Amino acid sequence: MPKITIDGKTVECRENIPVLRAALEAGFEVPHYCYHPGLSVVASCRLCLMQMKMPHPKTKELDWAPKLFPSCQTPVKDGMEVKFDSQLVHNNTNHVMEYYLINHPLDCPVCDKAGECYLQDYTEDYGPATSRMVEEKNKNPKKDIGSQTLLYQDRCVLCTRCVRFTQEVAGTSELTVINRGNRGEIDVFPGEPLENPLQANVVDICPVGALLDKNFLFQQRVWLLKPTKSVSPADARGSTVYIDVNDDRVWRIRPRFNEKVNEWWISDESRFSWQHVHSPDRLNIPMIREESALRPTRWPVVQEQIRAQLNTVASDGGSRVAIVLSPMMSCEEAWLLASFVRQSAPQATFVIGYVPVEGTDQTFPKGFVISAEKCPNRRGVETVIEQAGGPSASWDEFLTKAGGGEYRFALVTGGYPKAWIDSTLADTLRKIETVVLHDVWASALDDHLWLQLPSATWVEREGSFMNADGLVQPFDRALKPLDGVVGDGQFYYELAGHQGLFRSRKVRELMAAELPTFGEVFVPREEPEYAH
Amino acid sequence: MAYDKVLLKRVGTPNSVSIDTYKADGGYQGLAAALKMQPGELVDLVKGANLRGRGGAGFPAGVKWSFLPPDREVTYLCINADESEPPTFSNRVLMEEDPHQVIEGVIIAGYATRTTTAYIYMRGEFTEQYHVMQKAVDEAYAAGYLGENIQGSGWSMNLYVHRGAGAYVCGEETGLIESLEGKRGWPRIKPPFPAVEGAFRKPTVVNNIETVACLPHILSRGMDWWKSVGPEHSLGPKLFCISGAVNRPGCYEAPCTITMRDLIYDDAFGGGMRDGKKCKAVFPGGLSMGVLRGDTFPQRPAGSKIDLSEDHDELDCILDFEDIKQYGMLGLGTAAAVVVPEDVDIRDVLVNTCRFYAHESCGQCTQCREGTGWMYSIAKRIRAGAGRSVDLDLIEELTNNMGMMPGMSICGLPDGAAWPIRTLVQKFRAEFESYIAQQHAGSVEETIRRVNPAAYELPILGGRQMAPAT
Ligand SMILES: Cc1cc2nc3c(=O)[nH]c(=O)nc-3n(C[C@H](O)[C@H](O)[C@H](O)COP(=O)(O)O)c2cc1C
Ligand code: SF4
Ligand code: SF4
Ligand code: FES
Repeated sequence: MPKITIDGKTVECRENIPVLRAALEAGFEVPHYCYHPGLSVVASCRLCLMQMKMPHPKTKELDWAPKLFPSCQTPVKDGMEVKFDSQLVHNNTNHVMEYYLINHPLDCPVCDKAGECYLQDYTEDYGPATSRMVEEKNKNPKKDIGSQTLLYQDRCVLCTRCVRFTQEVAGTSELTVINRGNRGEIDVFPGEPLENPLQANVVDICPVGALLDKNFLFQQRVWLLKPTKSVSPADARGSTVYIDVNDDRVWRIRPRFNEKVNEWWISDESRFSWQHVHSPDRLNIPMIREESALRPTRWPVVQEQIRAQLNTVASDGGSRVAIVLSPMMSCEEAWLLASFVRQSAPQATFVIGYVPVEGTDQTFPKGFVISAEKCPNRRGVETVIEQAGGPSASWDEFLTKAGGGEYRFALVTGGYPKAWIDSTLADTLRKIETVVLHDVWASALDDHLWLQLPSATWVEREGSFMNADGLVQPFDRALKPLDGVVGDGQFYYELAGHQGLFRSRKVRELMAAELPTFGEVFVPREEPEYAH
Repeated sequence: MAYDKVLLKRVGTPNSVSIDTYKADGGYQGLAAALKMQPGELVDLVKGANLRGRGGAGFPAGVKWSFLPPDREVTYLCINADESEPPTFSNRVLMEEDPHQVIEGVIIAGYATRTTTAYIYMRGEFTEQYHVMQKAVDEAYAAGYLGENIQGSGWSMNLYVHRGAGAYVCGEETGLIESLEGKRGWPRIKPPFPAVEGAFRKPTVVNNIETVACLPHILSRGMDWWKSVGPEHSLGPKLFCISGAVNRPGCYEAPCTITMRDLIYDDAFGGGMRDGKKCKAVFPGGLSMGVLRGDTFPQRPAGSKIDLSEDHDELDCILDFEDIKQYGMLGLGTAAAVVVPEDVDIRDVLVNTCRFYAHESCGQCTQCREGTGWMYSIAKRIRAGAGRSVDLDLIEELTNNMGMMPGMSICGLPDGAAWPIRTLVQKFRAEFESYIAQQHAGSVEETIRRVNPAAYELPILGGRQMAPAT
């Protein structure tokens, strides 16, 4: 590992990284705009400049070179000595920050980025307090550039991060710079809007409020938002995300750096995967069939009823009992349910639930993948089923058998972002005498259900998902469940006979005794503040 | 001054553009001599000749060629005919009047660098010149000077004439390369330098038209002749353009011993000031190198290392690659002088200068993009009669904080902006101040209120810093 000296302090750093990155990782604050670790280096904002010791061209003596160097473009080299804390560097930073504001509208009070804007932060830390610009400002237009994004060009600092993102990561090159000099603007080509499955990432990487998310426009001040570490349920990749919440409501989802999966990016599917959470159509009362109608009941009653029913139908060991474990469940929920059922019905069939698939995997130029499998935890649930032993079936096998009337009792879990039981599926399931459905949505099967249990969305739960590569990643609870709903984890925890509060970590410890895979979850490296 | 023209010798002669007259005048013999040598020997020869690049920076061509990695497989040669520097038109004369001299130079440079594909990158506005060059290239192909197995040497090279879309920054070598590749002409960050990774990410040499036009003569006339022309650090014949308020604007050839005064007043060159006016200022090296005082002025020129007596002008400056720096110029640049007569308002000169760079900055680097634009706004305000002394200080401060030399930008354009603007403000400060003193009271406040009311009306910005006008 190379050792370099920054402002007199010697630090060890990773190989082949720019000095800027090394400095940030070592805890130095270096202002920068154009550098982003996931994009090519253009060294054009000229904000990250540093002084460097170089051999004198004539005497060969090592001394501070008279010019500045871009730290984002200079790779670390063992023994090199640089400084950021110098008059020359501060002078440059000060000038550049003044430049950035000469044509900036200063409309922070109405800007969505305010509070997490690098222009605000750097100006406060490094910029002059007043502007010497007394001339008229350039007034650039506001543009609608795509279905998810707006561009307020007057706020842009022309760092070209967004342009490089569409060229290098998305590979679609919709964005470009038009015009020259301080008349430069970001724009799309005529008739070719910013439309790609990763498009909204440009909003995150825009260091200022130039690129805006239409869904988030004028919704919240960012300092009111509380971030929760979570994992995207949108596909089998398991992209790590932050869920930003205020006033018991999700306002947005942002990528959370993950060196093994999604790096700095997420798909738009992941970003907008929370929208069903606040749907007015969600179920929120547990219902039980009394005579011919479903009537509200209470959760403790539900538990007693399920235990009693299972004891009856599984008196033969449970050969005519099916338990459908949805790939939307967390590993912990699946394990709790499976271990509870195995005790009372060792011959019950465990079924991996419906796995939604759309098209094929999409791979982008720098390796970002959007999985065709639109659920987060097929592998986790499969692992649990395999370990539980006893009879198991695929979803198709289950449907065939159910259609043939082989099951008397089924507990089906759902949890998909939209209603998924169509009339054909409902007709098949109707062949099962007693059906318990634990799901978010009402369905065509409701007239046949014995128990209809409202499920919480992943935002309201905690646990872990195992992604397509077998990586187990934990997610936290960002919201409490909808009124009337008990968290799925809590429900199965109590059903399995445990007492107290369901905590996913505690459950994973129990699981690890049988399934070492779950003993250790993967938590991505924390990026330093201002790392990108 | 007795000097036999070399580069411009055939200019103005009948049908000078055709290959037949060129050959009849001894053309393509430099190439014949070159092809008898090994490429490596040729590089050493040009290194020994200390042929300094004519494109602006004055970097020795032979040294540049020797930066090419020895084990390279492909080399590209880009001939810079973007010629966008204001008052500069010497490349244009060469291409218009003697295209085969240029082509012979390109072929020699191509052979020395083991190039197989060469480009002449022309600015978009060169329409006629493009057709002249293309026709000459076709002739050279037909005569076996280009294409396969050139003159039986076993070496092949293709030459393409490519037109840009017209942007100053596409004359910067890496901007040129990007533009040639079909991209936006944004200069690249260095390293890697073009010699290692240039056009299409392969080793590339960029040379100016005039630089390569010297090559045939070095070979055909010999090193002794070459070394007899001009001072040691600025060898060889050189083209000088002169325009503005002189009697004989044009492109002239001379060794680098000529002074600015000769170029303006000698009958063989500028032929004196038009209408008997006095010279006020002259930009000696294109716009970007800075300005010389053409009239007397009672202070030692700021930034000048020459100890002039008081009340002197700066016209004794020798137009070579080195002496000119003594006068606070960035360098010889394109050796194209524009002469400003006494009755021109210096504020107009400042506005025009600032406008050019604000218009041409490509916009990548913050200091260049915003700085040039800001200076242009300030210059316009000064011109409108609402200047302040602090504006002059501010402009000077801004010019000191942009450019490649202090490390603040990717390319040299802002250095080229800083030098003329700074030297204008420094050397003509008294004139600016006198205009400011004559402004009517309240003009600064009125103007600023009109163009940027916020600057006065917002309490955080208002009053405190800018009022009262000084
Ligand atoms: C902004 C800018 C514009 C330039 N324009 C030209 C030009 O129009 N023609 C030219 O030959 N060189 C131009 N140059 C210089 C080139 O970058 C390069 O140094 C030159 O072409 C090298 O050729 P030479 O070594 O033969 O002089 C320009 C440089 C800068 C920074
Ligand atoms: S829109 Fe944002 S990301 Fe794009 S260039 Fe402007 S400031 Fe940078
Ligand atoms: S210095 Fe100016 S012209 Fe050169 S690359 Fe930067 S912004 Fe463009
Ligand atoms: S120049 Fe280094 S971050 Fe922009």
